[in-house]
Amino acid sequence: MSAAVEARGVEKRYGSLVAVADLSFEADAGEILGVLGPNGAGKTTAIRVLTTILAPTRGTFAVAGIPHTRAAEIRRRIGVLPESAGYPEHQTGDEYLRYHARLYGRSRAGARAVAAVLLDEVGLADRPRSLISTYSRGMRQRLGIARALVNEPQVVFLDEPTLGLDPAGQRQMLAIVRRIAQERGATVLLSTHLLAEVEETCTRVLILNRGRAVALGTVAEVAARAAAPRAARLSVPAADKERALRALAAADVTILGAELEGARLSDAFLAMTEAA
Amino acid sequence: MRVVTVQELRDLWLGGRGLVLTFAFSLLLSVVAYLVATNRGLNFLEHRETVNLLLQVAIAVGALLALLAAADSISGERERGTLESLLLTPVSRLELTLGKLLGALSLWLVAFLVAIPYVWFLARGVGLTGDALLTGAVVGTLLAVFLASLGVLISVFARSNRVSLSLSLLLLLALFVPTQLPSNAQQGWAGDLLLRANPLTAGEHYVGKVVTNGHAWTADLSWLVSPLLCAAVFAVAALAVGARYIRLGGGATG
Repeated sequence: MSAAVEARGVEKRYGSLVAVADLSFEADAGEILGVLGPNGAGKTTAIRVLTTILAPTRGTFAVAGIPHTRAAEIRRRIGVLPESAGYPEHQTGDEYLRYHARLYGRSRAGARAVAAVLLDEVGLADRPRSLISTYSRGMRQRLGIARALVNEPQVVFLDEPTLGLDPAGQRQMLAIVRRIAQERGATVLLSTHLLAEVEETCTRVLILNRGRAVALGTVAEVAARAAAPRAARLSVPAADKERALRALAAADVTILGAELEGARLSDAFLAMTEAA
Repeated sequence: MRVVTVQELRDLWLGGRGLVLTFAFSLLLSVVAYLVATNRGLNFLEHRETVNLLLQVAIAVGALLALLAAADSISGERERGTLESLLLTPVSRLELTLGKLLGALSLWLVAFLVAIPYVWFLARGVGLTGDALLTGAVVGTLLAVFLASLGVLISVFARSNRVSLSLSLLLLLALFVPTQLPSNAQQGWAGDLLLRANPLTAGEHYVGKVVTNGHAWTADLSWLVSPLLCAAVFAVAALAVGARYIRLGGGATG
């Protein structure tokens, strides 16, 4: 097993309920693997099994080259942002990170240094001594990501990191996710049910449905497998739009639609709220 | 383990919960001390009995505080959604359990320190301060370890904090039931066995024998067997069970 994450026939049952069935996949070092699926598809259970919080009923897996039987060693090499993670309200962001860094064996000074670096990395450097109870949801999620990085993990599991965030918060979060893979070289497993996030961010996707993996590959591969292309998208400068449409019409090309990029509601929302 | 314990102490004492509970405890002791020192009805109590009464209250309430903190230890983390992050760290579940247990026991330690001046004030006239404090420290520590371990055990399995706290208090009340039995029911071999087997009543009797009856502290050591056994057995059980059964969702399976 040499991939950053490798699962072979992983199954998790709760009595007669099969939460994850025969899950097999690999994720390479430095890649962002999107784990997609509807609610109840088994995404969170799969992540909890891979992060050693839950024991698999059947199957084997390895994370960072460590077999699942050595759970404590796996935990030293991974970072996790759990779904609906809670935070101690009476601690400051800085205290919270220092405590977790200490739990990973860092010295007092080392914990202080890593907390400062990570708070800066996730954009919380201006609020290190604010109580977590005063943080917004987006700030808590970013603090959670910072906590997931205190041990410089080889593999990072993020379970619905953009849940409940506004579009600006989602964009900020995805930028952090990309940086984790690009600058730290860590493998990221990003669980979400927002397809746009995956298209923008992930190198490959794993789709789960009712506990089973139904697709694994790049976005283009998975899309191609599911359906034949129905339309092609062509990009031209906004100023040339009318000329391009006329040229296509003259060439007897059927035009299904045309829109200006940057003129969608989400673009307008971001422009207005970020400028304010 | 040291990191977890230090954080538990910070959360408990700098977070304010420990200070509020200790303040309430000192208020209670003040009221009891004032009543036994000034109330005409209570003044009929023999001097040694007033010291015994105050010490019994300090031990019972101090140990109760440790039980409350322990009952919140694991189920509280579970309910606040912070347990998963802790379980993901390399810290073993045994270290986590021990850190939580020591954090809870700090409440008893502080409660006892708070009780010292009250005991000294009431016991100074009869030269009883040293014996009363030593007896209180021994019995109170044994009962606090027993009750805090019981609280941790319940907290490991409880799916919610409410269940953990309710069950812990219910068991504590059940342990206090024999003290409410009529005195003739507490006599005979069955009554004696009941009092000796129950760590709370056995501890209470031992304190009474030393403080009220003026027995040497070595004279009635057999009354300490139950508190000592319960403290040792429950502490080991809490650590063993915590090391094996702390799970994200609570319950016996996971």
